[in-house]
Amino acid sequence: MLKSAVCSVFYFGSSSLMVQIYLGPPLISEGIPLRTAPSSNVAVPVARPVYIGLTASLHRPHELKEPQFVALNPSVFHHPIRRDILHLCVNHYRDSLRQGSANTKTRGEVRGSGRKIRPQKGSGRARLGDAQSPMLRGGGVAFGPKPRDFSTKLPRKVILMGMRVALSSKVLEHNFGVMKTMDWPSGKTRHLSQKIDSLGLKNTLFITGEDEVPTMLRRAIQNIPLVALTTSKEVNVYEMLKWPRIMLDAKAVDFFEQTLCKMHSLQEVSVTSGIETVA
Amino acid sequence: MASAASRSRISLANLSPARGSLHKQKRVGRGQGSNHGGTAGRGHNGQKSRSGAGIKPGFEGGQTPITKLFPKRGFVNQNEKVWAPVNLERIQHWINLGRLSCSPENPITARELLLSGCVHDVHDGIKVLGDGAEFLTSEVYITPSRASKSAIRAIEDRGGQVVCKFYNPLALMDCVKGHTDHIAAAPTRRQDIMWYSRFQNRGFLSEELLKKLGDAPFVEERWTLLSRQLGKWRKQEFDVEKKK
Repeated sequence: MLKSAVCSVFYFGSSSLMVQIYLGPPLISEGIPLRTAPSSNVAVPVARPVYIGLTASLHRPHELKEPQFVALNPSVFHHPIRRDILHLCVNHYRDSLRQGSANTKTRGEVRGSGRKIRPQKGSGRARLGDAQSPMLRGGGVAFGPKPRDFSTKLPRKVILMGMRVALSSKVLEHNFGVMKTMDWPSGKTRHLSQKIDSLGLKNTLFITGEDEVPTMLRRAIQNIPLVALTTSKEVNVYEMLKWPRIMLDAKAVDFFEQTLCKMHSLQEVSVTSGIETVA
Repeated sequence: MASAASRSRISLANLSPARGSLHKQKRVGRGQGSNHGGTAGRGHNGQKSRSGAGIKPGFEGGQTPITKLFPKRGFVNQNEKVWAPVNLERIQHWINLGRLSCSPENPITARELLLSGCVHDVHDGIKVLGDGAEFLTSEVYITPSRASKSAIRAIEDRGGQVVCKFYNPLALMDCVKGHTDHIAAAPTRRQDIMWYSRFQNRGFLSEELLKKLGDAPFVEERWTLLSRQLGKWRKQEFDVEKKK
């Protein structure tokens, strides 16, 4: 029943793995199919969940025989794209990274005495005080940089919206995947690298929902080029935009839906949030 | 949906701010093309074109400044209280609309008046005034900080009751917020004690009022205790040693 509702099929990853993404009719942009709420005269936009095909897990991919779908919260994964919000979030993050350690000496900090170099009048030349004035060679810097804090503040809710937009942009570009788990038994890099290549998941950021990155997986993945691993708590908008593709855990999807969900303005129509796989 | 895939992906390389959200900083003294070069907006010579702090605010070049021309006058009364007035017709209108209700068990206090919108700010307390007394028809039980004589007369004619209670700032805050864990303090200033002991003001310490109210629901037991203690001065006598 669900498969017949899918309107288009896209290839995701290697040709052996086909993933179907169904995004319902546009929600918040123009042409919303409005449906009046049963008990009032107010028209409320309808929220349909985003369906994503489940990607095979790293460790036991053969367990996924039939294509399975996950229903995702549309307010998180089908948010209207706001590039200006992403711009704000990325700038805020990059400001926070600045070391701000540029330093110069002013005329008071340059070593030297305060003796007047030549008499005020009589020499025929310009009047001068001490030898550390910024006018002179070897003198201090007039308005040079000093160590300072370049970090800026951004409202918490703008950052949350940035996360929603970043996740939605990845879904829209079909560069988004969900795995059931990201368990990996051994710390051997070679096997994991081969597995990632075979799944066609290079240039991917893996986001787990665990509190800490599991040790075995971390050891195996940290030396593989073009692949990275973070937790859902530590990931930020900059990283999500930098990496071409992101792969989420089941727990990470739950985490994002809990922290970022904004369903107040949308009427829920049998939204099955989280990883409820629909066969 | 193919258009999303054919467009280049949203990455760090193609973000831009919202139109009109950023404004270039005004940087003076950076050449003629900027319109702020040369003298950098300071004109030619003069005290204002020099670096440094400039003249202090209020200085008028040596002429007596306007802040010093006129003599000081008076003092500021630290004990002054600003009462939030509420007239009887307003209370009646609120009762008619159903925004206020009162009964002997739940008299109208500053909290009810504020939350219902009858007063917008309680200031130092509520004072009930008698404007529009002819419109008052219902029985009103109210415990304000103060009440005018005409208001008292009108309310009691309709069968209601006014008791003026002493609220210090903490007690008023507890009343407005609905906290019941503190005991409201008794008045300490002589003027307050005298005022609230008078029956003509319907003060909560007046013996006559407490006797008249008897066992009414909104009377607290503490009032009789305070009335007795704070009224001791009336019967006190001092032993004056006779000079021999």
